[in-house]
Amino acid sequence: MMTLTALQQDALVELLNIGFGRAAASLSQLTGHRVLLEVPTVSLQAIEDVGDALERVVQGHVASVHQIFSGPVGGDALLILDESGASMLKELLTNEPALPLSIDASAREVITEIGNILLNACLGTFGNLLKVRVSFSVPHLEIANVAAILQSLMVAQHGLRYALIVHAGFRLRNAAVTGYLMIVLSVASLDRLIHAVDEWEDAQS
Amino acid sequence: MENPPPLDAALIQWLQDVGDRGLFITDTSLVVFRWNQWLAAQTGRAETDAIGRQLFDLYPTLPERGFDHYYREALAGGVRILSERFHHHLLPINRNLHGAGVTEMAQTARIEPLWSRGVVVGTITLIEDVTERVVTERELRNQIAASEQARELAEQASRLKDDFLATLSHEIRTPLNAVMGWARILRTEDSPRARSRALDIIERNALSQLRLVEDLLDMSRILSGKLQLVAGQVDLGEVVRTAVEVVVPTALAKRVTMTTTCEADLPPVSGDADRLQQVVWNLASNAVKFTGAGGSVTIDLARAGDDHLRLTIRDTGEGIALDFLPHVFDRFRQQDASPSRRHGGLGLGLALVRQIVELHGGRVGAESAGPGRGATFWITLPVSVDQKIDPPLAVESGPVTLEGISVLIVDDDDDAREMMLALLGHYGAHVRGVASAEAALAELAKNPDDTDVLVSDVGMADMDGYALIRRIRSMPDETARMVPAIAVTAYANTDDRVRALVAGYQTHVSKPVDAGVLATSIANLVKGKISPRSA
Repeated sequence: MMTLTALQQDALVELLNIGFGRAAASLSQLTGHRVLLEVPTVSLQAIEDVGDALERVVQGHVASVHQIFSGPVGGDALLILDESGASMLKELLTNEPALPLSIDASAREVITEIGNILLNACLGTFGNLLKVRVSFSVPHLEIANVAAILQSLMVAQHGLRYALIVHAGFRLRNAAVTGYLMIVLSVASLDRLIHAVDEWEDAQS
Repeated sequence: MENPPPLDAALIQWLQDVGDRGLFITDTSLVVFRWNQWLAAQTGRAETDAIGRQLFDLYPTLPERGFDHYYREALAGGVRILSERFHHHLLPINRNLHGAGVTEMAQTARIEPLWSRGVVVGTITLIEDVTERVVTERELRNQIAASEQARELAEQASRLKDDFLATLSHEIRTPLNAVMGWARILRTEDSPRARSRALDIIERNALSQLRLVEDLLDMSRILSGKLQLVAGQVDLGEVVRTAVEVVVPTALAKRVTMTTTCEADLPPVSGDADRLQQVVWNLASNAVKFTGAGGSVTIDLARAGDDHLRLTIRDTGEGIALDFLPHVFDRFRQQDASPSRRHGGLGLGLALVRQIVELHGGRVGAESAGPGRGATFWITLPVSVDQKIDPPLAVESGPVTLEGISVLIVDDDDDAREMMLALLGHYGAHVRGVASAEAALAELAKNPDDTDVLVSDVGMADMDGYALIRRIRSMPDETARMVPAIAVTAYANTDDRVRALVAGYQTHVSKPVDAGVLATSIANLVKGKISPRSA
């Protein structure tokens, strides 16, 4: 069972926060509204336990933006928003009422682009840290319950895997929307990442 | 597989032919080396024009709009998607959308790296036209907003109706309670004093209920377009004096001062004297009802410009809240519809006032500086084109005869004209028919004394009935100019009827024409002046 030390956790938060800062700047520029992302909190879970952990915080149908990344480190990156959060984020960012996501292609597209920006920023930060080039798949939006989304991740690959669960709080126009980033990594990829985080932490001090 | 197809060439051709979206490929310097047919067709830039040129050179707006960062990201291995809502489009392309004319094409796009053996060797850009989707979504949004609004209106109307029904049952029961209570007293009390008091109260309450039922019937007649105006020349001053006389006792009992002023030598208005009296009575009694002891009600009738009269009724009473002011003439509306309200009534009086005044081609209005600061109601009515005042019309009793009356029928529909000729012939009239307004004008000009009443259809080709009566009312010959005229208007169309009266007709009958109604109208119009010609 892999765990993060307090020091590693702090370092990950700091790194992710750099990515969040970049993403918030891109979103602000894109929408003309000041968008802030709260300082993230990070936890590491074995993939089997992720379902329980997520279902404690998001219920019912969720919108997930999914990108597969590959290269020296590879895995799955997802932004998960509950349906009302997704609609609210779309309304706040576009100034126009959202219809139910199932019939609002524009809203689905907007959520996909937001996920794309956030995931790119965070994975880009990791890529820089590891000094490797990470390649991405085209982001894909799915609306389903948490179990179905995790199921599709389990089918794709076997073997022990871990997920970094990152709490992402958007703040804009006096409102708050909560989402979760989930970065699923194989043991080998996670090992490389933690090793690089340790090195970065040493270099900082 | 024995002969595998040359995949690269086939793929390239496939990409080139993709018919439903744009696709272009650049090298790492962003020099274009694939430009598919869709792009050529939509941008008007042929493949040969695009290939070999740097992307930002082809489209300088791309770096201006910050997309150079996106391409740099793609060259570093990133994928970026562009939603229509945030970017509207990647390439500026005009689109001719059916029904919406030329618009700028709405696009979604994505920019990805082109990989070859683990190395980024260029970029791929995919563009999709989503103009129609955007239009559909906008319509959907509008429809949802519109249906939301319609639902709110319907709910409000249904609430008003509920309020009205509650008020109605209350208003009907109140006088009945008094009638029944005093009837019971009459059974046991037989002193002359008690009996006289009981009968007074029973009569008063029965009257008030009668008035309520009449208001309801009037409203229902107006709503179904069945209210008939018995039109004539009306001296509005006389109408005002008569109506006010009825209200004065109530005002005296409440210690409300009533003052009436009336400009001298006012021209008549064209309309129904009884209905106009109902209007004035409603406004005056309303003013008294809402004015407390020691207050005053001032009624003023004067000219308003050359062709209108204006009746103003000013009180020092309770006034009207600003947010209710726009609704005072609405049906079923009362400022205080709560069960604890102090004033009775159905909320129909002012609605009837507006309907009747508008049927006469007039306007109504209300002003108030707010609660406790009094209210002013006014109506304006158009002055009659015909300046004579008729004596009040007696209700026709007994069979109508048009013996000796000459009628000129104007209708461009042969069957309708023939029918009216036959119908009026039965009543003994001397009837002639012409098929156009021009023919009617010619006939009146030639033989002005041969026509006692003109009956004209309103909807006629070339010159319609409105134009005809305006021409007649300005003819040089006085007999022709003053000829009494009846308009035949489409059933249930209030606008037509109002227009007919304003244009200069004395009255109107609705289609389909009822022979009895038409004959009575003609008889009323010529009453008292059947020419010696008939002898």
